[in-house]
Amino acid sequence: MSLSLEGGGTTLWSMSAALELRQVSKSFGHFHAVRELSMSVPRGAVYGFLGPNGAGKTTSLRMILGMLLPDSGELSVLGSPSAMAVRDRVGYLPEEKGLYRNMTASAVIAYFATLKGLSAARARVRARELLNRYGLGDFADKKVETLSKGMGQKVQVLASIAHDPELVLFDEPFSGLDPVNQEVLEEVLEDLKTRGCTILFSTHVMAHAERLCDRLLVLGGGRRLFEGTPSEARALLPVVVTLETSGGQPIPEGLPGVREAVSEGLGRWRLELQPGASSSALLEACFEKSLRLKRFEVREPDLHEVFVHLVGPAAREASLR
Amino acid sequence: MRNALLIAVREFLGNAKTRGFWFGILLVPLLGIIASQVPVFLARKGTPTRHFALVDATEASRGGQVVLEHLQRAEQRREYFHFREWLGPRWASANPLPGIDRANPSWRELQERVAPLLKADAGRFSPPEPLHRRVPLPKGLEWRGELSEFESRLRDWMRDDLQLHVEGSPEPVPLFAVAILLDGATPGAPPVLRFWSANQADQRLRDRMLEALSRDHRKREYARLGMDPETVSRVEAIEAQVIDLNPRKAAGEERVGVADQLRQWAPSAFVYLLWLAVFSVSQMLLNSLIEERSNRILEVLLSSVTPLELMVGKLIGVAAVGVVMALAWIGSMVLVTVGMIHTSGAAAVAPDSLVSRLPLELATLLGDSWLLPAFGLYFILGYLFYSGLILALGSTCSDLKEAQNFTGVITLFMMIPLVSILFIPRDPNGPVATLLSWIPPYTPFVMMNRVAAGPPMRDVVGTLLLLVLSDVVVLWGCARIFRTAVLRTGQPASLAQLARWVVGRF
Repeated sequence: MSLSLEGGGTTLWSMSAALELRQVSKSFGHFHAVRELSMSVPRGAVYGFLGPNGAGKTTSLRMILGMLLPDSGELSVLGSPSAMAVRDRVGYLPEEKGLYRNMTASAVIAYFATLKGLSAARARVRARELLNRYGLGDFADKKVETLSKGMGQKVQVLASIAHDPELVLFDEPFSGLDPVNQEVLEEVLEDLKTRGCTILFSTHVMAHAERLCDRLLVLGGGRRLFEGTPSEARALLPVVVTLETSGGQPIPEGLPGVREAVSEGLGRWRLELQPGASSSALLEACFEKSLRLKRFEVREPDLHEVFVHLVGPAAREASLR
Repeated sequence: MRNALLIAVREFLGNAKTRGFWFGILLVPLLGIIASQVPVFLARKGTPTRHFALVDATEASRGGQVVLEHLQRAEQRREYFHFREWLGPRWASANPLPGIDRANPSWRELQERVAPLLKADAGRFSPPEPLHRRVPLPKGLEWRGELSEFESRLRDWMRDDLQLHVEGSPEPVPLFAVAILLDGATPGAPPVLRFWSANQADQRLRDRMLEALSRDHRKREYARLGMDPETVSRVEAIEAQVIDLNPRKAAGEERVGVADQLRQWAPSAFVYLLWLAVFSVSQMLLNSLIEERSNRILEVLLSSVTPLELMVGKLIGVAAVGVVMALAWIGSMVLVTVGMIHTSGAAAVAPDSLVSRLPLELATLLGDSWLLPAFGLYFILGYLFYSGLILALGSTCSDLKEAQNFTGVITLFMMIPLVSILFIPRDPNGPVATLLSWIPPYTPFVMMNRVAAGPPMRDVVGTLLLLVLSDVVVLWGCARIFRTAVLRTGQPASLAQLARWVVGRF
C-alpha cells in the first residue's frame, strides 16, 4: 500500500492498482454525469469500461486525465493524485479522433511523443518503428490528409502509445475501424499487455470486451452497475438449458440446480439454472430419472445479454432525459 | 514550459508552411510596389497618345502658335525626364551629370554630351510616344469661319465616336478633343478656349492649353502696362526662405531636416504595420485554434499539456510568426525602397537629392531611434491583449463561421486606431490622442503614433503600466474561459456563462 496526503488527511492507495477512483462525482449544472464512482484497475490489466451513450464514460476518463476536476471524491493515477503529474506515463486516445492534417504521419506521432517527454530524435525513431511495426511504413511521409480514415485512426492510436506509457486510456478505440484494422488494434492491445502496460478502454462492442478484458466496469446513468471479471459478469445471468423429450414426456419435479422451468409445448422445456449449478449434474439426473432426451442444449449468457440486462433501465432513463 | 515551447514551435512551423504566411510576408512590399509603381506605369504606358485637332480663330493673340509651342516644350520636358530615368543605371561615371538648360531641356543634346560617360552596353534611348499629337480636322469638318455652324457639325461627328486615319498609325484612332481658340469678346480681353471632348477625366491637354493661353495673355498685359514681362516672371519666381527649427533638438542642431520629417511620419507607417501584424496574427491564432477544435486535436493535446501551457504555446508560436512577418515587412520595405531608387538611377543622377539620401536616412532612423523597440514592445503587448480575447472567444466556438461572428466585433473595435493613424501625428499630444492612449486596447497603436512627438513621460509610463495590467487581467480571464470552454461542445457560451467561467470552478 502507498500513502498519499490529500487536504490534510491520509489516503491509502493500493500499490497494485494503476488507477483508482473513490466516490468520484461530477455534475454539469443540474446534470449528474458521474455519481460516486469507485473503481480499481490493477496494474497490467486490460480493463473494459462499458456503458451506453451518456453513461459518464468520457467524463470519467477526462477526470482521470485531469482535464476535469471531480466535484467530490478522490482518484489516484499511477500513484499520483493528478494525471497531469504523471502525464508522460499515460497515453490517451479520445473518442473523437483528429490529427493535424498538414503533418506527415511520422511527424504527427513524433510530435505527440515529444509532448510526452521523448527527445525529438528519439520520437522520430520511435514513430518510424511503430509505423513499420503496424503496417504503415509506406505512409510514414504521407500527409495525414491523404490517409484513409482507418489509417488516420491507426496513426492516432500509435501517437497515443509512442512514448511507451504505463497506462493507456482508449475511448472507443474500435469505432469506425474496419474488421482488418480492428484486428490490428487488437494486436496493438496485445502488445501493450505483453509489455505490462495497463489498458483501460471504453467500448460498445461486447465481443471486444469479452475477448480482451481481464476485468470490466459497467456504467449506467453515471453510476457503477457492475465491476468484475467477464466470467463474473456472465454469472449475473442464469445458464439456460433447452431440453426436449420424446413423445412429449413431462420432466419430473426436483431436477438439481433448476431455478425455473418453463414449458414451451410438445415436450420442450426452457430451464434456468441456479447460480453456480452444474449443467452436467442436471444431465446426469435426467438419465437417472429415465428421461428420453431428444435435445439437451446448454447456453451460457454472453456479455451482450449481461450488458443489456444491466444498462437497459439506465439507458432507457438516459434516452428519456 | 518545455511543452509550451514545443507547441510554440509547431504553431510557428505550421503557420510558416502555409501559403497564407508567405502571402502575408509578400503582401506589404507588394502593396508598396503596387502603390508607388502602378500609377507611374499607368501614367506612362496606360495612357495612349491623345489625338486632337486645333481650330485657331484668333488674330491678335496668336493663340494657336502659343498653344502648340507650349505643348512642344512640355513634351520635350517629358522626354527629357524619361531620358534621365533611362540614364541612371547606365551612368558609369562617379560624377554627377553635367548641367543642362532647365528651361529648355533637350535629351538629344544631352545624350551627345554624356555618350562617352555611359556604360558600354548602354544602347540608345528611344523617346516615349508623345502624350498629345495634333491631327488635321477630319474631312467634312473643315472650319468655315462660323462657330455655331462648325460646332453643330462637330457635335454630331464626335457623338458618333467616329475615328480617323492619321499618318504613322496603321489603325484608325479616336479623336480625343477638338480645341477652338477664339479672341476675347472685347479688345484686351483674354482669349477663349472652347474645348470639345467626351473624356472629362483626363484634363491634361485642356490644362496645358489653358496655361499657355493665360501665361501669354498675362505677358501681353504686363507689356501693355509698361512692365517688362521677363522681369515680372523673375520677380514672381522669388520665394521667401523658410527654415524649420525644432526646439526639442539639441542646441546647434535645431534645424529640421529630411530625417526629422521621416521621424515625424515614420511612426504612422509603423502603426499601420502594427495594426496589420496584430490583426493578421490574431486571425492566424483563431484559425489554428478552430482547426484543432474542429479536428478534435485539442483533447489529445490536453492529455499531454495543461490548458495554460497550450494557450501560452499558441500565443508564443503565433507571436513569433507575427514578429517574423513584421521584420520581413520592414526589411522588405527598406529593400524595395533602396532597390527602386537604385534601379531608377535617381541616386546616380542626383547624389545630393532627398531620393538618393533616403536609404541612408531610413537606416539611420531605424538604427538610431525608439521606433523599432517601441514597435516590438507595443506589438507584443497589443498582440497579447487581442489574441487573449480571440483565444477565449475562439475556444467557445466549434467552427470558423461561428467564431467570425465574435471576432467581427473585435475587428470593428480595432478599426478606431486605424482611423486615427493620420490625425494623431498632426496633434500627437492633443486631448483626443491623450484620451485614446489611456484606453488599453488602443494604447499600442496610439502611443506608437505619438512616439515621435515626445509625449509626456506621465503618458508613456502610465499607459504602458495600464496596458501591461490589462494584458495580465485579460490573459488571466481568458485562460480561465479557455480551459473551461476548450473541451465543451454545443452552442456558443452566453456572456453570463463566460463571466461564470472566469470566476467559477471548472
